[in-house]
Amino acid sequence: MRVDVRAPYKVRVRQALGDEAMRTALDRATEQMSARCAEAMAAVDAPRLRDEARRIREHAIEHLPELLEALERNLTANGCHVHWARDAEEARQTVLNIAHRHRVRQVVKSKSMLTEEIRLNKALERAAIDVVETDLGEYIIQLAGEPPSHIITPIIHKRIEDVSELLQRELGVPPTNDPADICATARRELRREFLRADMGISGCNFAIAETGTICIITNEGNGRMVTSMPRLYVALAGIEMLLWQVASRSATGQDVSVYFTLSSGPRRPGHPDGPDEMHVILLDNGRSRILERGYREALLCIRCGACINVCPVYREIGGHAYGDTAYSGPIGAVITPLLAENVAAAKELPFASSLCAACRDACPVKIDLPRLLLDLRHDVVQRKASPVLERVAVRAYSETVERPGRYRLAARLARWVTRLIAGGKDREISRLPPPLNAWTRTRVFPSFAARSFHEQWRRREHRDMRPPTE
Amino acid sequence: MNRPAADARHEILERLRRSLGSRGSVSGRQGDHAVGPAVPMTVTHAEGDRRTLATQFGTKLEQLAGSYEIVDRTAEVPQRLLQRIAEWNSEREPSSTETADSSTLEVLSWAADELPVPGLEEHLRGSGLSLVVPHDLHEAGCRARAASTSVGLTAVDAALASTGSVVLASGPGRSRSASLLPPRHIMLVPMSRIYPTFEAWLRSLRGQARLASLLQQSAQIVFVTGPSRSADIELRLTLGVHGPAAVHAIIFDDDR
Amino acid sequence: MAERPGSRPRVALFVTCMVDTLYPRVGMAAVDLLERHGADVVFPHEQTCCGQPAFNAGYRADARRMARHFLAVFWPLIDQRRIDAIVAPSGSCVAMVRHFYRILFDEAASDEDRRRALQVGAATYELTEYLVDVLGVEVIDAQVKGKLTYHPCCHLLRELGVDAQPRRLLAGLRGAELVELPGADECCGFGGLFALKNAEISTAMGRRKARNLAASGADLVVMNDVSCMTHLNGILKRQGHRCRAVHIAELLNRVDEHGSADRDPTNAR
Repeated sequence: MRVDVRAPYKVRVRQALGDEAMRTALDRATEQMSARCAEAMAAVDAPRLRDEARRIREHAIEHLPELLEALERNLTANGCHVHWARDAEEARQTVLNIAHRHRVRQVVKSKSMLTEEIRLNKALERAAIDVVETDLGEYIIQLAGEPPSHIITPIIHKRIEDVSELLQRELGVPPTNDPADICATARRELRREFLRADMGISGCNFAIAETGTICIITNEGNGRMVTSMPRLYVALAGIEMLLWQVASRSATGQDVSVYFTLSSGPRRPGHPDGPDEMHVILLDNGRSRILERGYREALLCIRCGACINVCPVYREIGGHAYGDTAYSGPIGAVITPLLAENVAAAKELPFASSLCAACRDACPVKIDLPRLLLDLRHDVVQRKASPVLERVAVRAYSETVERPGRYRLAARLARWVTRLIAGGKDREISRLPPPLNAWTRTRVFPSFAARSFHEQWRRREHRDMRPPTE
Repeated sequence: MNRPAADARHEILERLRRSLGSRGSVSGRQGDHAVGPAVPMTVTHAEGDRRTLATQFGTKLEQLAGSYEIVDRTAEVPQRLLQRIAEWNSEREPSSTETADSSTLEVLSWAADELPVPGLEEHLRGSGLSLVVPHDLHEAGCRARAASTSVGLTAVDAALASTGSVVLASGPGRSRSASLLPPRHIMLVPMSRIYPTFEAWLRSLRGQARLASLLQQSAQIVFVTGPSRSADIELRLTLGVHGPAAVHAIIFDDDR
Repeated sequence: MAERPGSRPRVALFVTCMVDTLYPRVGMAAVDLLERHGADVVFPHEQTCCGQPAFNAGYRADARRMARHFLAVFWPLIDQRRIDAIVAPSGSCVAMVRHFYRILFDEAASDEDRRRALQVGAATYELTEYLVDVLGVEVIDAQVKGKLTYHPCCHLLRELGVDAQPRRLLAGLRGAELVELPGADECCGFGGLFALKNAEISTAMGRRKARNLAASGADLVVMNDVSCMTHLNGILKRQGHRCRAVHIAELLNRVDEHGSADRDPTNAR
């Protein structure tokens, strides 16, 4: 059973929980990941690094307008064309205009969640432009016709058996359970594409304002190919992905990634390779709204995926259950409702969390994700978008609880009712009426104690002849 | 809907300024933003004399499935280079599409004057190897020839001991392709270009106010740390996806 | 912590609504532990609930109402130095008072409310935290038979940073064999209203924890929050697992040597 990202939330969750193949794949990946991350974290002064990383990112966001202007100025001085896009449509149109002007037919793309966010591929394909994803995971899901399920490892939901079967079907290669074979296939297929593409498109891990530089971090080498082989290079950057200066960092359990590519402009006279033209599109698409709504901290995110990797909810349901969004896991639960003013997502995603805070502890820039989730939940209540029954129940609870007399009475009532349901003094409850049957469907519930602590204490006071409690 | 491009820029910046309570539209002096990391961001450290750093660099590279050798004198480099290529040739799998005739083996390379080893090209030619130095990889014939080579050869702008990384800046006679297209890459690393850390290298550049101009002139700088790899499939590691699968560093004491 | 001249420290028990109504024995055990180790315990009768479930679900006005009542009950005792501290057998409730009251009283609250919330928050402790850090308890003389493992509840671990304290107390138990729990740090899946609103995910997480418990071979899993305990026992029992979850106060207060074989430790009446 696979998850349909367009289905309603409850359906997606159910599909995900029933998708054994996906859950196996996640388990296998998580096992690998925890070991490596623990090693990596042990090797560094993590608290200090995180504080520093946070400081750098906070500074960038606080000075964003100035940094953006400096970035534009320096990129332009380096020979780049800089474009600004308010929303997805403007960004797509800008890319199409560039492609059209240069009669582009073939595009190679390195991985970019931003381009997923704006659904760029579909727009290019509709304009009869062939787009090939070159990041191994993205290439595979492109063949599969699926969206990615994780911002760093797009096919974390696929077992190797699934990938092998897919390649067999789409490319006619023999089945295998060796990742090296799969990589060899991808290398062969994509090498052809790199060498004949008219345009390369990439995202941007960081834009460096001081020097007018677009930084891309990859392990495979496709980032280098995409930014060097075709005549045209277009980089898309979220307006929040800025730093003033270059700094190195690590997040995936490696010291540094294999390729850290800094592109500042088209090739210079006399250079044997590199693009003749370089474009940078600076995209808003809801990021300024995130600021306006008061969720500034969410913009610190560097899209490293650490929060996703430790999330116990993601572990159970995978990325597609978060819906038709580029961003899943804890950070996805925060920015998906905000970037696109997605009301449905706002009512569902921030609540898909037990608030365990593992994400906050893993975040390299110390984003207080649970706090952001709590704020989003509060927003839903403020806007009167929470379920009526729930609002009524919470109101009843708070009014009961703020008066001790009411509280004790209610407790006695609840005890009486549950003991009735349980059919005996100390029996557990196996069935409760809706909506509480959500509990008893899979869990027993204890019946209320014969005498509450309050009552027992009263007795004890009388028995011991203690002075009345203050 | 037709909204002029200039509007987008203005609107975005205005929205940001309103939310951030910014200080006007003129950007501050460059010096205002000097918040480079006060704490080094690299995760390992390195220090010592050039020999020590060389070994540290090599060891790091080896941990990442690269390989290295340290050579005492510059004059020994060509011979070591030939040996390495010969070893690779003998390892080659039967399914390889490259010609097995080593006498016409072509090496995709930086220009001879970018390789800090005098007489290298002649020495190689003497053993039947020729350096292919592309002039324009957008030209079809040049591209095809470059794409069929099996070994790439470059020097490095810098090597970073703490992570086993090298810095490669593109430029005339310094193709990006040489370290990217062929499945194997040999780097010539003079000890004088080995730095302890990324920050140390950055500092040396800033001291000469050169980082910005380096980036501008070269159009692209890459930091390469070991062979190309992917862990996309069940997070199991594989080498050699799009970039080279084999990376070898010949480190030499360029003072001698 | 306010200091009162001479004498043993005096703490007010914040029993929490779940312990009060479902597991009063846990409350009694907490009182016994505190008294046995040097504190006098008073119980302010008017206490009810700290407001956490409402706050977590986004209902801040409602949560504030409950929090104000909490402050009305406990703040005078702190301010007038009639007690030195407030102690609760629950990590999440203490986290609510110590950390999340700050958020509640940041917005739409008077300076006075804010001040009181901070004052009370600074004086509120989780049970094992108080026993070890304040009363200086190192070893608790209790005997338990069988294999024991420890599950760190998320708020206790990540909001309060309390972990070494319960582990230290468990390490000192006679008779028990402490075993490792795979994935110990992973959330059990309770999460407040999450357990109802996202019951399927909550259950999946709980079942994963149950599988890990089975793999560990533990007879008992100890924890500091009855919320997690209720959720886990709910799943363990429904799935026919042998292992049972027990609150640490109950366990540490057990002076006899009967383990889970003789008596259901979750039957905390």
